[in-house]
Amino acid sequence: MTTDTGKTREHNLSAEKPRIDGTLKLTGGADYAADRNLPNQTWGYPVTSTITSGKLVSLELDEALAMPGVLDIFHHDNFDRLSRSPNSFAEENLTSEPRLPFEDNEIHYQGQYIALVVADTLNHARAAARKVRANYERSDDFLTDIRTLDRGEGDLPGEEQSGDASSLGDADSALESASVRLDQRYTIAQENHSVMEMHASVAQWENDMLTIYESSQGVVFQRNALAKIFGIPPEKVTVISHFIGSGFGSKLFMWPHAIMTAVAARRLGRPVKTVLSRQQEYLATGYRPTSLQRVRLGADDSGRLLSIHHDGCNESSPAGKHDDTVSGATPKMYDCGNVAVTNRLVTVNKCPPCPMRAPGESSGNFALETALDELAVQLDMDPLELRKKNFADKDPASGLPWSSNHLRECWDNAASRFGWDKRNATPGAMKDGDEIIGYGMATQSWEAMRQHCSARFGFRADGSLLVACGTQDIGTGTYTIVAQTASKLTGIPIEMIDVRLGDSSLPSGPLSGGSFATSTVLPAVSAAFDEAVSQLKTLATAEGGAFENADTDAIEFQDGRLVHGGQSVDVTQLLKDNQLGLVDAVGSAQPGDEQSQYSFRSFGAVFVEIRWDPGISRLRVARVVSTIDIGRAINPMTARNQVEGGIVMGMGMGLFEQAEFDHSGYPYNNNLADYILPVNADMPEVDVELLDYPDYHHNAFGARGVGEIGLTGVAAAISNAVYNATGKRIRDMPISIEKMLAS
Amino acid sequence: MASVNRHSTGVGFCTPGAQAEIAERPRAASGKTSDTRRITLTVNGQQHALQVAPNAVLLDVLRDELNLFGTKKGCDHGQCGACTVHVNGRSVNSCLMLACMQEGAEIVTIEGLAESAGFEQGHHPVQEAFLEHDAYQCGYCTAGQMMTASAIISDDSIDGDEASLREAMSGNICRCGAYKNILEAVQQARGKMRGGQ
Amino acid sequence: MRTFELESVEAIDQAVRHRSVHDGQAFIAGGTTLLDLVKLDVMQPEKVVDVTRLPLKRIELLDDGRLKVGALVSNTELARHDIVMRDYPVLSEALLSGASTGLRNMATTGGNVMQRTRCPYFRDPDMPCNKREPGSGCSAIDGINRNHAVLGTSDQCIATHPSDMCVGMVAAGATLVLEGPEGQREVAFEDYHLLPGNTPEREHDLKPGELITHVILDAPRGGGQHYLKLRDRASYEFALASCAAIVTLDGDSVSDVRLALGGVATRPWRATAAEEVLKGQPATQENFERAAEAAFTDAVAYSHNGYKITLGKQAIARALRDATAAARV
Ligand SMILES: Cc1cc2nc3c(=O)[nH]c(=O)nc-3n(C[C@H](O)[C@H](O)[C@H](O)COP(=O)(O)OP(=O)(O)OC[C@H]3O[C@@H](n4cnc5c(N)ncnc54)[C@H](O)[C@@H]3O)c2cc1C
Ligand code: SF4
Ligand code: FES
Ligand code: FES
Repeated sequence: MTTDTGKTREHNLSAEKPRIDGTLKLTGGADYAADRNLPNQTWGYPVTSTITSGKLVSLELDEALAMPGVLDIFHHDNFDRLSRSPNSFAEENLTSEPRLPFEDNEIHYQGQYIALVVADTLNHARAAARKVRANYERSDDFLTDIRTLDRGEGDLPGEEQSGDASSLGDADSALESASVRLDQRYTIAQENHSVMEMHASVAQWENDMLTIYESSQGVVFQRNALAKIFGIPPEKVTVISHFIGSGFGSKLFMWPHAIMTAVAARRLGRPVKTVLSRQQEYLATGYRPTSLQRVRLGADDSGRLLSIHHDGCNESSPAGKHDDTVSGATPKMYDCGNVAVTNRLVTVNKCPPCPMRAPGESSGNFALETALDELAVQLDMDPLELRKKNFADKDPASGLPWSSNHLRECWDNAASRFGWDKRNATPGAMKDGDEIIGYGMATQSWEAMRQHCSARFGFRADGSLLVACGTQDIGTGTYTIVAQTASKLTGIPIEMIDVRLGDSSLPSGPLSGGSFATSTVLPAVSAAFDEAVSQLKTLATAEGGAFENADTDAIEFQDGRLVHGGQSVDVTQLLKDNQLGLVDAVGSAQPGDEQSQYSFRSFGAVFVEIRWDPGISRLRVARVVSTIDIGRAINPMTARNQVEGGIVMGMGMGLFEQAEFDHSGYPYNNNLADYILPVNADMPEVDVELLDYPDYHHNAFGARGVGEIGLTGVAAAISNAVYNATGKRIRDMPISIEKMLAS
Repeated sequence: MASVNRHSTGVGFCTPGAQAEIAERPRAASGKTSDTRRITLTVNGQQHALQVAPNAVLLDVLRDELNLFGTKKGCDHGQCGACTVHVNGRSVNSCLMLACMQEGAEIVTIEGLAESAGFEQGHHPVQEAFLEHDAYQCGYCTAGQMMTASAIISDDSIDGDEASLREAMSGNICRCGAYKNILEAVQQARGKMRGGQ
Repeated sequence: MRTFELESVEAIDQAVRHRSVHDGQAFIAGGTTLLDLVKLDVMQPEKVVDVTRLPLKRIELLDDGRLKVGALVSNTELARHDIVMRDYPVLSEALLSGASTGLRNMATTGGNVMQRTRCPYFRDPDMPCNKREPGSGCSAIDGINRNHAVLGTSDQCIATHPSDMCVGMVAAGATLVLEGPEGQREVAFEDYHLLPGNTPEREHDLKPGELITHVILDAPRGGGQHYLKLRDRASYEFALASCAAIVTLDGDSVSDVRLALGGVATRPWRATAAEEVLKGQPATQENFERAAEAAFTDAVAYSHNGYKITLGKQAIARALRDATAAARV
């Protein structure tokens, strides 16, 4: 096994390819976790708390146990004693909710599991779950929405997180001496991931081995966590997630339903399948926490930023801490030497929040990019000019050079495709029939990360390839780009490449999140290829081999053949000669010292046209143009799709999405009819362009990843466009009808 | 002690002693099995004789009895469209249908879409268009999208302009947000199936 | 989901021998309301009667010019029917603005009339709700009531009737034909749905055992027609406010007008006061707005739904404007 930091060789790979798993997905053949039914399987259905805070005093189970088909009911008094996972990101055993199911009788949030009914069919389990009676000691001392805590001035509520604070220069004095100043507050309501495939676990024990089919963005993390929780070696746990009906962060780290299901399967000696209902999953599998933000800006009359303060406050949970650090990226965004950011947490009675697509940054970006628009108005300056004036040609926070940064081109390219020059800055000046038109823009950004990774690369005697990695394809196209990579490396056509992902028993791969899967996995595939080729060379130079005793360094791999001098041998022939079906090897790759030499970040620009019909209070996004620099897109078709999808989710944040809880803590809209997501009819004209500047400092493929960045900036651009159309500055997302009417 | 559930009475019996009894309760003791009935469903041109409960939902029967997992469950309440199938040529939400009421109906799922439309080998034009336009990401809403798309394409009452197609596709939520490509795929397939209209 | 008996009936008299929901029995047609609510354990029928095989699937033009619609005609078929599109465009538009392609294919005319409120508290059997469980209290009045009504409310219930179709029918004018153990009777569509008052659990004038067999639409009123539905997203959402308008002009003045509202009221709402303001008056924007004001004179706002008063007025003024424009062509 070798280690490749990924910089050994630059690959020139970028091609629009239909997905290799497309046929499976388009014919119903893709096996998602909830599609797994095992022989002799039973169904779990959770019973959840209907109070928001307090204690579970007792459960009455007689009636439920007597219902047709019921096998057992698991709860605090009869649950297995387990250990919590150490919850370490570094050890790859982080869970979303460290508290074990039924660990004690405390109720921390509405929707918390209080029992699991297991029956022979889903209908029986669901019917019996309704018959479980719970007696509670209800506490009226709870909080479900931090927006009620904000006093509207001064410091934000909550406990400051020392690890989140950072500063450059002296932001306080710079603000005081600035000739133009702004001090505003912003909020974003709680958003639910609303993954289409509801969280599902199917667990089976065979002897002392646990196999669990899970809709997971991190099979390795889940395997490690389950091993710790059950106190068994990781080798005895296999987590399988071949296809995931999207995750957006909610499926990165395991939730308690998987543990309940595994325990039930062990106790019953039969496989158990638990698929959460939509209502349950909206309360028990994370969310983008509500954020309160305060931004203070100071600038000189020419628009140069002199000072930035960005304070954030997010929700966390008594059942598990999560810090969304909304202000974290701010010091890196613009050329300003005096920056101070802080972040605070408030504990609310909801399940733990967790990362949701572009976590933290997309929220922080909304506040900062809206504040900049407000500053531009104060300065009577074009908001795009204001940003250009403050372009950071190196990372202001670390002082390191950017590995590659083409933000200026993104701004110009998107502005010209959008027609920004036709914008009239006077609010309400652009009209079309009943509608008032507004233009708005924002900068987009997401950090480029990379993790360590291993992969297996194999040559088969039939000429096909096997490439395997314990990462996942959550719809981003990982299967396809891995195949493209293997094809590029070998010259073997993509149809001959068998890619295996989503299985924790494969060489350890990364989470599918943070937009780092591409930059992390492809270098490992390349390293594994090198390893496998050297195995081939060893075979070829062995006694009786095609190039017996030849110097392996003099042998080259070209298009499925080993070449030495004027001679060559087909790899398939080599395998046949040695009576081998497969020659394979594991290779690994990890980031190296480039991490301390450069700052890695993707940037983009998004421009939005909104239409506001004041006669019927109708706000619609009509047009979105975005240009993004993500380094190299391995598959521009799937990459653009990610950005377009991010834009749709950004529209959700800007216009519709908010999970609501009433004064009693009741979740008012925990379903897909009342929690409003964009539908096809909301879709504006969307035009995305990806620049193509491979970032070979980041990795040999030049790719920085694309999953999150498309979402950033969208909410701010919408709100800025609303201002341009109406003169109304809405600082609280989403911009609902009542907010438009009230302001 | 507050009791939110209005049916609650007194304190439960969940003492440690009682659990052992629960854990060991054998399957047979867990009560009567509910009544079931024999039905025949015609799915993708094949007849299936099934024994199902009166409250069995078509979506669950397709998936759990007939192993047709291509049809997905995204909400179970008519709120997402992932469960869309064709019944007698029309797109419907199978999560809100009783299996027993579908005797005699022609049911088509994604697994039978191509064949039901006469594309015995290979894919339906909608499937081809979805592949070419990358009209999906995670793929979970996709069967539903294609079942609606294929039905509206051959429906003369639905116009081919962008707004009409988007509106007709709006009962299929795609959280991945692939709507742009979905529309393009529907337009392409429509053109192909309706002779370039 | 709870278990129930399922019986299929082939003839109307077989169906009406059965007693209704109150006795633990329910008809099932499209199933889009019933199964949704049975899964939530909000409706708890012991027996479900499948009426989909009854011969109630025709749309028939009567000699007097009225249109007789069978209770089992699907929302799609009704919306796309030639006569409906030509003579009752307001109804066609209302139907097509509702739900989604798939749900409209399933939903029936009778089922749509009978659909239940979307009040989230009603839809959760663990929450107090006077409509679901009389006397248990109304969770919405002190809770979140963004989606609730501002017209026709009582201190017992403020839930909206969610239908779009019914709003179109109230504007077009219609009669319900009911068949019961005691024979057939007819009820004016407008009177069929009941205000919550002190008995929010009584939603309509359907007696135990009765079945809706038909809706008969009044002979076409002509004029310009428009249904406008306002909501957060562009589709697949219930109305926050909607208005069905039928305007008949005599030169530049309004000789007749029918206005019905959805999304803002506890039942499909005929805005009679607004109609009176407009009748005989010039069809001007100013008069449309006066009519809109009149429709909401008695409106009561709760903590989260005050915006609906504005939105409802806007829906009326715009629907009137567009219906008038249609009347002019
Ligand atoms: C996600 C979603 C979104 C929706 N959006 C909208 C919308 O935007 N606008 C809108 O208007 N509607 C909307 N609907 C509601 C939909 O229109 C109704 O559910 C549908 O019209 C009910 O008709 P059905 O035939 O399916 O009724 P069923 O579910 O079969 O029956 C409903 C009720 O009526 C009774 N019943 C049925 N037929 C008769 C009869 N002939 N006589 C007496 N009683 C009868 C049943 O016993 C039952 O109580 C939506 C529904 C869903 C699930
Ligand atoms: S508004 Fe009506 S339906 Fe809603 S909780 Fe109150 S009583 Fe029940
Ligand atoms: S599962 Fe049927 S509509 Fe969502
Ligand atoms: S492709 Fe993921 S939800 Fe549509």
